[in-house]
Amino acid sequence: MAVLFVAAGLVAVGAFAAAWRRELTAALAGVPLMFAGAGLAFVGITRFAVAGGPQPLGQEFAVLLAIASAALVALGVGVAGREGTR
Amino acid sequence: MDSLHAIGFYVSSGVSLAGALGVALMRRRDHRGLALAVVGVGLAGLYLTLSAGFAAAVALLCYLGAAWLLAGPGYRPVMSASGPVWRQAGAVGAGGLLVLLAYSAFRGGFVNGAFRGGTFGTESIGRLFFGHDALATEAVALLVVAALAGATAAWRARERQR
Repeated sequence: MAVLFVAAGLVAVGAFAAAWRRELTAALAGVPLMFAGAGLAFVGITRFAVAGGPQPLGQEFAVLLAIASAALVALGVGVAGREGTR
Repeated sequence: MDSLHAIGFYVSSGVSLAGALGVALMRRRDHRGLALAVVGVGLAGLYLTLSAGFAAAVALLCYLGAAWLLAGPGYRPVMSASGPVWRQAGAVGAGGLLVLLAYSAFRGGFVNGAFRGGTFGTESIGRLFFGHDALATEAVALLVVAALAGATAAWRARERQR
């Protein structure tokens, strides 16, 4: 259960950052936090709740979410554009 | 989970949550990137205590890369044109809803993950989402996030053209 609380905390802080910050890239930094919470919930559930079940399934989703979060940050920085070019 | 893993879990939890608060609250971009790197280290520690070594390595690599991108000077700040009061009130509302969700997770006990039907209510819906249909729910959530990101990008592009 503690895993789910930490995951919920990460998602909550990420949603707060995404909605609170007015700058695009600062708001975008909240998205990897939400993805981290989702991945942690997946890994935790497959570790504890699926006794004898397919543990790699949750780990695969955690890996997918980590890669997606890095790609999303790269996309956001690319959308924001380079300094001085407009 | 033995005592050594429990200590590692709680230390990593503290590190990741402290880093997350840093990402949310720090103003300078290099500090924000450093906080995201701390989140990556804490998350990798959490995965390690949950016996997910490969996921820990990938998460550490990805979050360090994202932190390096966020901390770098190679992009310009793009400020929102919307009113800050309503937006920040919405942020507080979103935080309240997530606290409610965490409370529901604690009370509903759907960590067991087995849907057995029963009367229509929060508990049965939670079991449905997090048990039988977890992957479908996650796919829908990813689609919603992609739609929101696309709508935000389109709106910002239109505001920039004005």
